[in-house]
Amino acid sequence: MANTACFMIVSKNDIPIYEAEVGTVPKKEDAAHQHQFILHAALDIVQDMAWTTSAMFLKAIDRFNDLVVSVYIKVIHTRLMLLHDSRNDDGIKSFFQEVHELYIKTLLNPLYLPGSRITSSHFDTKVRALARKYL
Amino acid sequence: MASFLPQFQSIKTTFDHVVLAVEDVSDLWPMVKKGFEERLPFKRAFLNNKTRNPVLVDELPAEFILTTDARLRSRFPQEQSLFWFREPYATIVLVTCEDLDEFKNILKPRLKLIVQNDEREWFIVFVSKAPAHNDQATKMAKKVYAKLEVDFSSKKRERCCKLDINAPDANFWDDLETKIMECIRNTLDRRIQFYEEEIRKLSEQRFMPVWNFCNFFILKESLAFMFEIAHLHEDALREYDELELCYLETVNMVGKQREFGGVEQGDDQATLLGPARKPLTQIVHDDSFREFEFGSIYLPVKQRGYSFIISFSKALTLHESMLPFCMREVWVITACLALIDATASHYKDGLAAPDVEKEFYRVQGEIYTLCRTKFMRLGYLIGYGSDIERSPVNSASLSMLPWPKPAVWPSLPSNASSEVLAKEKMILQDSPRPKHFGIQRKPLPLEPSVLLREANRRRASLSAGNMSELFDGRPNANDSSGPLSPLPKVNSVSMSRTFSSPGNFEGSIDRPMRLAEIYVAAEHALRNTISDVKLWESLSSIEEFEQKYLDLSKGAANNYHRSWWKRHGVVLDGEIAAVYHKHENYDFAANLYEKVCALYAGEGWENLLAEVLPNLAECQKIQNDQAGYLSSCVRLLSLDKGLFLTKERQAFQSEVVRLAHSEMEHPVPLDVSSLITFSGNQGPLLELCDGDPGTLSVTLWSEFPDDITLESLSLTLTATNNTDEGAKAIKSTEAIVLRPGRNIITLPLPPQKPGSYVLGVLTGQIGQLRFRSHSFSKGGPADSDDFLSYEKPTRPILKVANPRSLVDLAAAVSSALLMNESQWVGIIVRPLNYSLKGAVLHIDAGPGLRIEERHHFEIEKHEVGTQNMTNLDNPPENLSPVSTGVKQLTLEDGKIKLPDWTSNITSVLWIPLRAVSDGLAKGTPAGTVVPQRQSVVDGLRTIALKLDFGVSHNQTFEKTIAVHFTDPFHVSIRVADKCNDGTLLLQVILQSQVKASLAISDAWLDLQDGFAHAGKGDGRPASSFFPLIVSPKSKAGILFSIYLAEAPAKDEAKELQPVSILNIKYTISGSRNLGAHTPVAEELTGPDNDKAEYLTFRSELVLQRPVLDPCLAVGFLSLPSSGLRVGQLVTMKWRVERLKALEEKVASDNLDEVLYEVNINPENWMIAGRKRGYVSLSTKQGSRIEISILCLPLVAGYVRPPQLGLPNVDEANISCNPPGPHLVCVLPPPLSSSYCVPA
Repeated sequence: MANTACFMIVSKNDIPIYEAEVGTVPKKEDAAHQHQFILHAALDIVQDMAWTTSAMFLKAIDRFNDLVVSVYIKVIHTRLMLLHDSRNDDGIKSFFQEVHELYIKTLLNPLYLPGSRITSSHFDTKVRALARKYL
Repeated sequence: MASFLPQFQSIKTTFDHVVLAVEDVSDLWPMVKKGFEERLPFKRAFLNNKTRNPVLVDELPAEFILTTDARLRSRFPQEQSLFWFREPYATIVLVTCEDLDEFKNILKPRLKLIVQNDEREWFIVFVSKAPAHNDQATKMAKKVYAKLEVDFSSKKRERCCKLDINAPDANFWDDLETKIMECIRNTLDRRIQFYEEEIRKLSEQRFMPVWNFCNFFILKESLAFMFEIAHLHEDALREYDELELCYLETVNMVGKQREFGGVEQGDDQATLLGPARKPLTQIVHDDSFREFEFGSIYLPVKQRGYSFIISFSKALTLHESMLPFCMREVWVITACLALIDATASHYKDGLAAPDVEKEFYRVQGEIYTLCRTKFMRLGYLIGYGSDIERSPVNSASLSMLPWPKPAVWPSLPSNASSEVLAKEKMILQDSPRPKHFGIQRKPLPLEPSVLLREANRRRASLSAGNMSELFDGRPNANDSSGPLSPLPKVNSVSMSRTFSSPGNFEGSIDRPMRLAEIYVAAEHALRNTISDVKLWESLSSIEEFEQKYLDLSKGAANNYHRSWWKRHGVVLDGEIAAVYHKHENYDFAANLYEKVCALYAGEGWENLLAEVLPNLAECQKIQNDQAGYLSSCVRLLSLDKGLFLTKERQAFQSEVVRLAHSEMEHPVPLDVSSLITFSGNQGPLLELCDGDPGTLSVTLWSEFPDDITLESLSLTLTATNNTDEGAKAIKSTEAIVLRPGRNIITLPLPPQKPGSYVLGVLTGQIGQLRFRSHSFSKGGPADSDDFLSYEKPTRPILKVANPRSLVDLAAAVSSALLMNESQWVGIIVRPLNYSLKGAVLHIDAGPGLRIEERHHFEIEKHEVGTQNMTNLDNPPENLSPVSTGVKQLTLEDGKIKLPDWTSNITSVLWIPLRAVSDGLAKGTPAGTVVPQRQSVVDGLRTIALKLDFGVSHNQTFEKTIAVHFTDPFHVSIRVADKCNDGTLLLQVILQSQVKASLAISDAWLDLQDGFAHAGKGDGRPASSFFPLIVSPKSKAGILFSIYLAEAPAKDEAKELQPVSILNIKYTISGSRNLGAHTPVAEELTGPDNDKAEYLTFRSELVLQRPVLDPCLAVGFLSLPSSGLRVGQLVTMKWRVERLKALEEKVASDNLDEVLYEVNINPENWMIAGRKRGYVSLSTKQGSRIEISILCLPLVAGYVRPPQLGLPNVDEANISCNPPGPHLVCVLPPPLSSSYCVPA
């Protein structure tokens, strides 16, 4: 499992709708800010990249020192972004695919308003389990 | 060969174009120089690239240099081959000769000598100086030239051309150019081949120990440079690429790590571009050096430059221990700056395609950022850390970047104690700026680990030390400055255990360095490392440092903005703002901060927003931008609660409240949609009837951390069905205190139009400040257009029903009540799903009707089953539910208040009323047609009712109720028999007209004059008959025996008693629920007080004396036997016969005119002919006449036939046959034949 990993789902309006620190390293108080900042800045690159490729999985589109940002772009332009320090591309890809599936299930929930924050604890638990499994 | 490196650089600077040698044999150059140089640079050149494909070069600069020039002379052969690219690409031999002999003897051998060197590409330009008019000279020149061609040109190649100075031929220049091109092309091809061969050879030896990267590098670089000279940029780039790759491989090859260069003064400066513009210094790695130069292709250079910096920086890391302190950082900074300088000066806007341009700026931005990061690191190391904003971007860039790892951390120079003192002072003075709103947040780190520890750990001389001692030397270590955040607890514990031995701090060398000492040591070390004066200057003082820092930030931000990487750009704007902020340039700072906030807020990254927004708020506050400050405070409050402490949030709120209550210069409505949200209550919506006011209950969610007082509050209601009308506001009257979280408030709601309503906008005032909120529900997404489609349909909160009847008033009984008696009139009050609480009924009795005000009104619950259960024989007391729930009410001022318990049930209000009718009832002879309608109309009375009800008596219901009153009996009489003794049996037939049983206890007849009672003479029938019970709607008869008395004297008697009066004493037992009933007692004395209950009914009867002297007889003649049919005319015939001769009126002609009239019911009959007329009848007895009238029956059935009357004759004198009414049968009309179907 990765030491540091910050996972975020960003809606098509660039609003973060889900975030989780899924690394093994005990979370530092200030890490959230830095990770958020890095992921936010990476949106600039995603924005450039998204329309030039048809691939959903954009691996390592941005680097920040030792950290790497990988992104999975969904059809409705929701972006699953992962800041990680591991190099396990296959694992990351599987992680994204599974989370994608989870997210779709959430979308199907009639009580979930698309584009709003995902507050489901079930979703959170599942994502963390997936992170343990793949990252 | 490495020694050639410096030379190489200067050569490259000098020869950055194609060189063409001019061998001026006959001193002609000054003469033709101008013409030659005019052709430069060559416009169209076809050159072969590395793969031998022709490439068109648009502009090829070149220079003609005489072979006698110093630049082409005195070169060592070795140099020549190595720097072959600078050698002439063509040799042009300029000759002239006017004499064949001279040519043969002198010129030709000389030329042979010149051109014998095969390696050179050459051709001869023969210049003819012969004037045009001198044929002799021209001819001579031609001859010489021909000779020249024969000697030097071959079939393969033309090597000669001729320039006529006096008559220049246009073709000559083209010819010359072609020849030059040919030479250049050939030379180039050959040199490429040579270089490739050499490079290949070197590559093969690559893994041999003698191999020298420098040689390889020079060759490769020369080749690349040659391509560049020839303007074959792509090839050049490819070569550079390969070279870089190869270089990095070499650098990283483990076995090859020898002495790493860079220890000499000046090596720290990287000059990647533009050698011609700057004095050259280089990084020497082992035995290589690296340099780019390009003329015009900026972007690829830039990208390559950037990636080179990154990779070389990595390489430097590997060798960091050997290099001077911070060599790597310094190198990166200078490299970046050089790259930026070089490219920026070349690049001009709009030169390239937009996406290339974008990319260019992006890379430029990246370079700036990199440079900025390294610069901050250096700044931090020498103690400017407190001037670096601890923002996420700086924290992320610096705290993840490891410290420099020199073999030995620089130690403090011996004479630096004063500097240390200064730094100490600086550290002491430096207290972090208190954040606005008293926000206390752990500052973000700018260092990967504590510098103090890192530096001391890397000091070779420091063998052991008590770590806690490290911190002791520094006052306020834990709270005064962020970078010194205490070590993780685990570490400090373990360390204090490990290094617990006290002592050995005496020697200054062994003592751990204090922070100030580290700063000073780093500064000294850097001074040694940095050779660039400018860079050192910018690190020399805080002001300079900040200036440079600002420049770099600005550069990065601008370039990112241009490249449309807005997030990168805006973030750096935030850094610039921080500097301005610090320097109290609040205007700029606020502008920039606003940009940052807008970005984060727009994209909902609240964590990041929470970092910047307080700064913006502070700037706005200082600038006295009240509106902006307010909205910032509101935004701060609306951020996620976890981002700030409650105390901080309370500070935000108190600011808002303070401002709201102060006199604002330009009060602006404040949007608090994110703070105060509202929705209708759970549960069913409020339903109101048309015209009703109500109370609306609304849930308000307050996100304020404390209670907040709203001076006023109003909500708009928007009709969903009618968008034309604006929203209506409903207001609360008093101030409302909102608690944090959920509040339920109620608002008075004036009557609204029918329709359903949703909540619109919440507005209100906090102090003087108006605010508004648009959001309906909590936790919804920010108001962005994209979410409109997702927005939950707002639930209607209020429904006002269309107008409908809310109550119904009806009479309780349909049957008639007793006339002239006080009767209960029941009014059924039925609310229709509407409360009648507090309803008031106005009662207005119409003419002929009087309310018995002495009595109480009664009200009871209306039971539908009552009527069915009614048994008329039972006394009404048993039925009347007095005991179960009759309540008595009093009429006040014509109004009655309905009790509350009746508000939701159907009730009956009993009103005591008396219908007044003057005159007596009239009896009729039995058998005569009584016009029923007339009597009904006579007995009809109306009550006008008006009910005021509703929440605030806003509803009104008006109804007029008709009540029917009647006499208890209808009386008819007939003479039942005429006895021989002259007694008449008078039958009085009583028909009950009420739905109640009547008990007649006594009846008597007051006879009119001319009649007298037979028998006892008291006018009463046998008393044993009584009481006589008459059931509802049934008949009873009473016989009176009377006889004809002598008529009294006419003058008195007739006036005395013209009619007979029938008196009936009776009691009535009926239910008021059904109809007539016992009159309302004035005093309820009890049911057994019979006397009080006796009622008297009087009816007028007219007795007629019998027909004693008939004069005329009228007989109805029989009808035709065929019967009557509807629609068929029939002749009705009557015979009038005189029974007695008319004596009194004797007419001369013995004829009397008799008036007749036919009475018909116009519904049944139609008369064809005269209805009324005179007929002549003889006055003699026995005279007779027939009267025929043509009639048309209109209705089938048994109908009364027309009757003939003689109005002029007293009825007593007419004898009728048949005497009473009879009926005839009228058949329906025959079927119309036209409808018949033939059989």
